[in-house]
Amino acid sequence: MSTPAARILAVGTATPPTRYTQAEVLERFRVANPAVRKLFLAPHVRSRHLYLPAADAEGRPTEDQAALLRKHRKGALALGGQAIHAALEPLGLRPADVDYLCCVSSTGFMLPGISAMYVKHLGFRTSMHRADVVGMGCNAGLNGLNPVAWWAASHPGRLALMVCAEVNSALYIYDDTMATGVVNSLFGDGCAAVLVGADVLPSAGPAPALVDFESHLIPDTWDAMHYEWRQDHGKFSFVLDRDVPYVLGLNADLPVGRLLGRHGLRRRDVRHWLIHSGGRKVIDAIKYTVGITEHDVRHTVGVLGELGNLGSGSFLFSYQRLLREGVVQTGDWGVMMTMGPGSTIETALLRF
Amino acid sequence: MAEGSKAEERTARARTVSLHTEAEVAHLRLLRPTITMRMVHELGEALDQLEDHSAARFVVISGVDGVFCAGIDFADFRPDAPMDIHGFHKWEQLLVRVEKLGKATVAAIDGPCRGGGAQLALVCDVRVATARSVVQFDEIHLGFLPGMGTWRLAKYVGLGRAKRLLLQGAPVSAAAAERIGLIDVVAEDGALDAAVAAELAAFGPAHPVATELGKRLLLESYAESFEENIGGFLAAQHRAISQSAFLDTLKKAGR
Repeated sequence: MSTPAARILAVGTATPPTRYTQAEVLERFRVANPAVRKLFLAPHVRSRHLYLPAADAEGRPTEDQAALLRKHRKGALALGGQAIHAALEPLGLRPADVDYLCCVSSTGFMLPGISAMYVKHLGFRTSMHRADVVGMGCNAGLNGLNPVAWWAASHPGRLALMVCAEVNSALYIYDDTMATGVVNSLFGDGCAAVLVGADVLPSAGPAPALVDFESHLIPDTWDAMHYEWRQDHGKFSFVLDRDVPYVLGLNADLPVGRLLGRHGLRRRDVRHWLIHSGGRKVIDAIKYTVGITEHDVRHTVGVLGELGNLGSGSFLFSYQRLLREGVVQTGDWGVMMTMGPGSTIETALLRF
Repeated sequence: MAEGSKAEERTARARTVSLHTEAEVAHLRLLRPTITMRMVHELGEALDQLEDHSAARFVVISGVDGVFCAGIDFADFRPDAPMDIHGFHKWEQLLVRVEKLGKATVAAIDGPCRGGGAQLALVCDVRVATARSVVQFDEIHLGFLPGMGTWRLAKYVGLGRAKRLLLQGAPVSAAAAERIGLIDVVAEDGALDAAVAAELAAFGPAHPVATELGKRLLLESYAESFEENIGGFLAAQHRAISQSAFLDTLKKAGR
């Protein structure tokens, strides 16, 4: 990437106020299928913060597709606003100081888009440049961060903000099958915002340079993760093939190898791995293919356990935890990695 | 252990290790009897080479002139200066790299195998020693600790024996070490090379991916529960059966 390098200046996150254990969700919707119950009670996801609807007399959730879309829009505004504030406020910044806004979301569809909603409600300038990355899935945080970094690098002294706004509970369908059980037991609600800039104000903490990006698409596995319209429910359903972890695992070292190879780096030169909390099996597959340890994925696993798979912003929750750990040193290399539909693997190289 | 000397000074002096590859076997030799920080650095360079550029499937680690390795060289320490733990950390990182190497590793031991030398032997996959060799963990006797030998030794010999070996620090003959599982094969004096060659042959093809993953899962079995590890196993197994080695096996089986 051309100098001056774009740097991550701040990160902020937000989740819904109500936290549910897996047992509480099972109880609330009276999930009976023993296989689905087992899925929920597996140890990898312990709790999530969710916008859950009331249940009807049979324990079924009461939301139709219109209610799910409203929930996505309201959640994206509330959580996005909090995450944006959390990123900007410590630096004494306000939304009006931001020059470029990129919003990433795959858990609902709205028009005008989320970035326009944020301008209307959160005090961004009406002259601000905007882009919305919609429908790219769990990997999309890096698909958004890539152009944000380029924009920042080519506009030194100005501020770019990316917001990953996912309300995954707007994708829930309850039919007591394994297919929906996988989704309902795994995904949580949450938003993350990152501020990016080149040659701009000093950050409050570590501000790694976004050195490079590398992408990888596996078109043979087009159907492995996809949205499907369920006529019987009148809702979109997210379908996750059971072989997804292994497909992603087998391919994960390809973009990582290219990304590091371009910079003359080896796996062992990378001190920090910020990997999407896709699920325990995906994390395992990445571990044993890329050759990294449980310690390397501690934040990925921690986010999964406490918050679930948060979709496109998950890796930023891990990034925030890494910074709070206080172990990052100047000169350290880091790799961000996100995986999702396509099947897609996105990577970014960081230099602290 | 203080940080080692600079690279240019290093090249001006005799090297402390050598790495020489014949066919599929990389021979890593310790060229001096005791471990200096310079040796730790040069072992690290040898591991860079083995990890990044070597097609060898096997690594044989040996000493020279009738000494495998007699432990730390105290010349790197300055009693009048504050003690530095960083060198010990470097040493442990080095041992982990040997332990995780995606190649089958053999410690070819002739003579004293003491302290850090015994720790190094423990992270190899197989230990072959001549009858005259002696294994000894004498660190605690000398007032310090046998590295993460405290973590590893009991996995080979059991906790009771490990306590005795570490706390008493007594030298153990190759024959006695073999009986308790500390040494795998005892060779007659002068017949080490043949015994090592037989061990290498016994590894067969030593497919790199399957070897690396098998070693990793074995090591993790000590740190993780079965429930935690089985997910890792499935991920590793999927990677293994997607490699050409397993596909060749299927072909040979007429599939």
